Amino acid sequence: KPIQQYPWIKNRDHSKQLELSDWLTLEIKDFINYISPSIAEIEARNNAVKRLRKEITTNLWPDCYVNVFGSFATDLYLPGSDIDMVITSDSGKYCAKSYLYQLSSFLRSKNLGVNIETIARAKVPIIKFIEPRSKIHIDVSFEKTNGLRAAERIQGWLRETPGLRELVLIVKQFLAVRRMNNVHHGGLGGFSIICLVHSFLSLHPRLITNSIDPLDNLGVLLIEFFELYGYNFGYDNVILSYNPTVCYLKKEEHSYLGASNTFALAIQDPDDPSNNISRSSYDIRNIKRSFIGAFELLTNKCYELQAASYKERLGQSILGGIIRYTGKER
Amino acid sequence: NCPDKGKMRNSYCRVCDSRAHSSDRCPTIWRCYITIKTKDKIGMPQIWCYNCGSKGHFGDECLQQRSSRTPNLNGSSFSGGNLPKSLR
Ligand SMILES: [Zn+2]
Ligand SMILES: [Zn+2]
Repeated sequence: KPIQQYPWIKNRDHSKQLELSDWLTLEIKDFINYISPSIAEIEARNNAVKRLRKEITTNLWPDCYVNVFGSFATDLYLPGSDIDMVITSDSGKYCAKSYLYQLSSFLRSKNLGVNIETIARAKVPIIKFIEPRSKIHIDVSFEKTNGLRAAERIQGWLRETPGLRELVLIVKQFLAVRRMNNVHHGGLGGFSIICLVHSFLSLHPRLITNSIDPLDNLGVLLIEFFELYGYNFGYDNVILSYNPTVCYLKKEEHSYLGASNTFALAIQDPDDPSNNISRSSYDIRNIKRSFIGAFELLTNKCYELQAASYKERLGQSILGGIIRYTGKER
Repeated sequence: NCPDKGKMRNSYCRVCDSRAHSSDRCPTIWRCYITIKTKDKIGMPQIWCYNCGSKGHFGDECLQQRSSRTPNLNGSSFSGGNLPKSLR
């Protein structure tokens, strides 16, 4: 049986749509449905978190809190992504290195984790392991509350910004396929991707005037996202900011956020105005280039399909130009 | 033997009367919105420039030198022309 190249278009043909932007909107929705986790996967994840929380707080450290942040907490995860967990306490004592080793031997002795790696020397010491029943990768950090604050803020944005979730998942998958989503290799982290999409949606002329419903226009908005950050955005001059709502700042007037007039992405941390959350994304030149590539692929496919006959349009994918996904049949 | 002659002849768009692209590569093919008709009068929202970071104009209309080295031949979505007629 041949592997389906674009599994989300199976039984979902939009080739009769009159407007290519509507075809792309429908395909984006199909893709989101396709990659959204099943009830069984959601339960497996939730149970893994519950089990660990119960074990740690009853049999190891009764005074600690075990919380999740990152994509798991905001429901912006792709299949197979990690769970970010953080241990906090009222006293803040768990930042001491000795607790790192205590937890890793506890996980080992109770068979709560396999392939346990204890990374003590990093700026943020963590334990990485695989939860044996769900096979999910889990990262545990200690006494870091900024991730929890960010997750709460993102949950708020998701409630008040229709289209944010859909576009973030597409851009995340686009960058993941190209291995440009890893901050440790200069890529864009999850929070930076969310900020780029959120800022784009919050400043778009059609959206600030309530002229369109973003959920009806995801196709054209996706192309225009790549247009803004691929071709036009002034990376040398402009900072994305929240002051108190979405706006831009001039780099030359806020030089503490990163060198003025240099080609680098600057996103002011909404929880800490002195912090640039994208300062490690040093590969921004390639990211900009890849956004141009995405724009070209999507628009060229639209031009090609516009000129094609109905017969030639059948079974085609617009999104497939920028996204590969070879998951299991769903 | 003008090398641009053939190119010029091909790159004229009847749809938007532009010489930046040909009709079969017109951005209107994909830049097409499903709009909401609202009767309420909307005030002028705050707008920001992607090029210089200022308030009050969109990047497409910025008077400062362009920061990005990739050209914006066809105009983008961040343009005053993308506002409702009453606000342009
Ligand atoms: Zn045209
Ligand atoms: Zn400007």
